Amino acid sequence: MITKLSSTHALSCTSLSLGYGQRLVLRDVSIGVQRGTWTAVVGPNGAGKSTLLRALAGLTVPQAGEVQLEDQPLQHWSRRARGQRLAWLAQAVPASELTAYTVVALGRLAHGHWFSQETSRDRAIIERVMRATGSLDYADRRLSTLSGGERQRVHLARMLAVEAGVLVLDEPTTHLDPPHQEDIVRLLRSQAHGCGVTVLSAIHDLSLALAADQLIVLGAAGLIGQGTVAEILERDWLSIAFGEAVSVVQVDGQYVWRPRLGESGT
Amino acid sequence: MGDLVVGQSLWETRAVSRGISCRCWMLWRQCAVAAMILGLSGPLIVARARADEARLTVRDDAGRVVQLARPATRVITMLPSLTEIVCALDLCDRLVATDRYSNFPAVVTHLPKTGGIDDASIELIVRMKPDVVVLNRSQRIEQRLTSLGVASVALKTDDFADIARSITVIGTLLGVPERASMLNAKINADVAMIATQARRARAHRQPSVYFEVDQAPYAAGPESFIGQMLTQLGLVNIAPAGYGAFPKLNPEYVVRMNPDIIFVSATEAQELAHRPGWAAIRAVREHRICSFPRQLGDPVMRAGPRIATGMQMIDACVQKVLP
Amino acid sequence: MRFGRWLLVGGAICIILLLIGLLIGTTGIVRSLTELRHPDSEALVVFWQIRLPRSLGAWCAGALLGLAGCIAQGVFRNPLAEPYLLGTASGAALGVALCLLSLDGVAFGIAWLGALGVTGAACVGAAGAIALTLALSRGVVQTASLLLAGVVVAFLLSAITSLLLLTKPDIWLSMQSFLLGSTALIGWFAVLLLFAVLCVALVVAIALAKGLDALTLGEDTAQSLGLSLPMLRLAFLGLVAVTTATVVGQCGVIGFVGLVAPHLVRQLFELDHRRLLLGSALSGGMLLQAADLLSRWLLQPAELPVGAVTACLGGSYLIVLLWRRNRDN
Repeated sequence: MITKLSSTHALSCTSLSLGYGQRLVLRDVSIGVQRGTWTAVVGPNGAGKSTLLRALAGLTVPQAGEVQLEDQPLQHWSRRARGQRLAWLAQAVPASELTAYTVVALGRLAHGHWFSQETSRDRAIIERVMRATGSLDYADRRLSTLSGGERQRVHLARMLAVEAGVLVLDEPTTHLDPPHQEDIVRLLRSQAHGCGVTVLSAIHDLSLALAADQLIVLGAAGLIGQGTVAEILERDWLSIAFGEAVSVVQVDGQYVWRPRLGESGT
Repeated sequence: MGDLVVGQSLWETRAVSRGISCRCWMLWRQCAVAAMILGLSGPLIVARARADEARLTVRDDAGRVVQLARPATRVITMLPSLTEIVCALDLCDRLVATDRYSNFPAVVTHLPKTGGIDDASIELIVRMKPDVVVLNRSQRIEQRLTSLGVASVALKTDDFADIARSITVIGTLLGVPERASMLNAKINADVAMIATQARRARAHRQPSVYFEVDQAPYAAGPESFIGQMLTQLGLVNIAPAGYGAFPKLNPEYVVRMNPDIIFVSATEAQELAHRPGWAAIRAVREHRICSFPRQLGDPVMRAGPRIATGMQMIDACVQKVLP
Repeated sequence: MRFGRWLLVGGAICIILLLIGLLIGTTGIVRSLTELRHPDSEALVVFWQIRLPRSLGAWCAGALLGLAGCIAQGVFRNPLAEPYLLGTASGAALGVALCLLSLDGVAFGIAWLGALGVTGAACVGAAGAIALTLALSRGVVQTASLLLAGVVVAFLLSAITSLLLLTKPDIWLSMQSFLLGSTALIGWFAVLLLFAVLCVALVVAIALAKGLDALTLGEDTAQSLGLSLPMLRLAFLGLVAVTTATVVGQCGVIGFVGLVAPHLVRQLFELDHRRLLLGSALSGGMLLQAADLLSRWLLQPAELPVGAVTACLGGSYLIVLLWRRNRDN
């Protein structure tokens, strides 16, 4: 079942085919990410989550098909305009020797000119996002001296500093402690629901992904479908995607993945 | 002048054929000739004056024209062979400094040294206030010296012709061109004499020779000055012609050519038998190996005025080593 | 110490080194001082035509190399990157070889290279090597392929040079003599050229410094921030090409300065690239200037090769910094 594409989509693609050389990872994918929602992409390893996200963020050129940002084809956006409208957080960011403040300040790159200094408005924004992500305390420390969680907060701050309407994140919670993972999920939700930002993320951890408004499920054969968590559970798409039965229960109104450990209660 | 005469008679003929009165024509012609002489002699006079000023003009091996107002009295040489040339012209006293490696004749060892090929001290050279600096063509300081206004002459010393030319150029620079041609004649005569003597002494046998200049192995080809020495002495050089002055040979080639005599450095002489396959070479088996110790071997390894001595040294070893 | 203050102190040190440079040469310091006070015509030439431009030129060359090294390390995100990474040294050698061959009359259809002079030929060769690397790596798509192309080009050009030498082995001496890194032959023209290129390169590099900052976060992130990666890399590598080619043309191949100058600054401060570029230029200039002084002074009146002195000086200082850092940690 394919969601009908409409003008409520901040980011969408039509008949997208992605791959490396001869090998196609995704074939003829058409999806739409609704404005002001948090959509999570789930699926097994190798299904093409990162590939899809990178294509949607405009970092790779698809073999076939088209990506639209705000209903306009991605190629029609100038690099600068696209940089202002869409922010990307990579899965593995190399350790940088820059200070946290400098990294966050880079988020304003698309808004200002290269040779100009930061304006006072830029500085205000940088301070605000660093406070929001709790990274203001280590603003002067080098990124390489920070822990994984602290570093991720700085990168999130950098992403928020762009003040983009669309955020695309590739595995933002991997390798983080549960408290940090919670923080990030809470942040994404507040951005989507509180600020009307469109958030698209690939999340490995099923429990966290189930907190999203919409899910895009990828399987070994390609796109399985898109919909709310309830819709997806109804059609048992998760089991189809992962190839074996996935058990999801509701606890206090929140969907939780229950690992089946082979004893009683299967 | 001959052209002028021919022209006049042609004009005369043409003028007469046009019917111009002869007397008028002659007057006109005299005026024209006078004007021509005055017109041409002006620049000629100036040119001759300039030629007097720039009496010494040489063209160095880098293609540049160097002019000196008068013969050089303060000379710096940057190559041992060039130092030897200056002293061979009996003008050692005009040298104010040499390079580090100049060692012949003994008197030049007391002169200030300006460095080697790559690290010559510009400052020292400038402080010496030389009239001219004679250096090798491959030296980098040439450009800098010229930009500082020091006259520098770059010379190539690769073969016999280069040596003769260098002697001529240096003789001109020092104001003794006749001495230079005499030196060249003497060197040629010595070389010819030694060559004839050597061939005769050997009963016109022509042993084959391998002359190694570097252990890579680089041989002295027939186009190098060493190769020319060997040719003059009637020795057959196994190194092929047309591969440059010092070709890098395949060691197998030396083994196959089986030279009668091998010239090599003293340190390498012991190791020759250990080179793969070389123990089979006749020269190695019968120990017909010639080496020249460091300073003593300079006349052989230096393309300078002592090539006749060098040839003598080569021939002495050949006679000693050949049965 | 803050970075701004370090810049001022560094600048003062350079000026002091410049003044000392006037006193060091083939005569002792005392004699040089007396000569300075009562200079005759010969002393004037020595001071103003030889020693002063040499010290200034050494600083400018060192600054250019330090700048190029910092840019190379930023573009490749590799602390071992240095200006000669993309085959510049081999390209310069080939240019010099071709020029010497054409001067000798051996035609390879490159008579114009001979007309440029050995300096110009080295310059063209060095820049040409980078152009070849860029062409080979298909328009700078991936950094890894660029590095590989650079290594290949370096070996390829070296091989071609060796083959060319076979036709006329006697130019080898000239070639080596020219390529050997040396600050001894810098005159006023060279100083003006080096300084002009330094000014232009600094301005352009600092203007584009934020691009280098963004690149430290990875190519994807840099791209998402609105940067055109191919344009950026082209601009930076173009800067490296021009700066390195200019230095190689005037001074031959001086190694190590480009590698170590940025590290000297990084060990002392945490900096964004805008200030790191400036600091690398200053530290590179200081390093080469000091090395030039030492090479003239240690074995007066003979000279040590400046490349060796640079390595000893810069290397030992870097080791001290690293040791101190390890101890603090």
